[in-house]
Amino acid sequence: MKSIAFMVTTAPFSNLTATAIQIIESALSQNIPVVGIFFYQDGVLNANKNIMIASDEYQALHQWQRLHKTYNLPLHICFTAAEKRGLTDESEMKNIDESFIISGFCELVGLSSKADEIAQL
Amino acid sequence: MIKVNTQQKRTAIINSKAPFSQTHGKDALDVALIFGSFEQDVSLFFQGDGVWQLINDQSTDGIQTKNYLKTFSAFEFYDIEDIYVCQQSLVNRQLNETFHINDVQVLTSIEFGKALNRHQHVLRF
Repeated sequence: MKSIAFMVTTAPFSNLTATAIQIIESALSQNIPVVGIFFYQDGVLNANKNIMIASDEYQALHQWQRLHKTYNLPLHICFTAAEKRGLTDESEMKNIDESFIISGFCELVGLSSKADEIAQL
Repeated sequence: MIKVNTQQKRTAIINSKAPFSQTHGKDALDVALIFGSFEQDVSLFFQGDGVWQLINDQSTDGIQTKNYLKTFSAFEFYDIEDIYVCQQSLVNRQLNETFHINDVQVLTSIEFGKALNRHQHVLRF
């Protein structure tokens, strides 16, 4: 079966992210090998645990945490895009959720090289 | 260390936004250069408002924005050789084929589509 990598570029408060999560989970639940998710542009904001979304609205972060735990799914955030948006892992100020890994652009090349297909959401 | 598969895939990066109001063009450039530096086969496509990124004589002096378009001249050092622009997008915007880098290939919509189809991975900004 062909493997796939995903690039997510939408913010957690965008309904496009809810669609992205649905598509990714649909691939995972059908046992399609998902080599990893790369968060780029505003997509890195998904890793910000300080973003508060009203409790009656879609909680994208909870969904990412669930996918990460259930499927052991690697969630890579682009360091350059993250820094630009105030995300940091410096101990005192750390605002990046534990489910995410801080990665560089080279991780995107790695994912793209490993995966047969890449889908941008 | 990232392991890079020896079996080469071709990656297309489509630029579809005008250069300076948002950061899409710069974000696409960063991705293109990193693929280039890992010796991945990467091509650039300019379509829609993205064609503005190739138009010459643009200055950002008055808008407090770094002119990342200047970095386009480094493409040859990154072995990024396939740069395609959609002719119809130029015509629609009444733009001449005068670009600020060399070796840009102007393609009709059909040729543009065929060129894109030669790539296994497509990213769009």
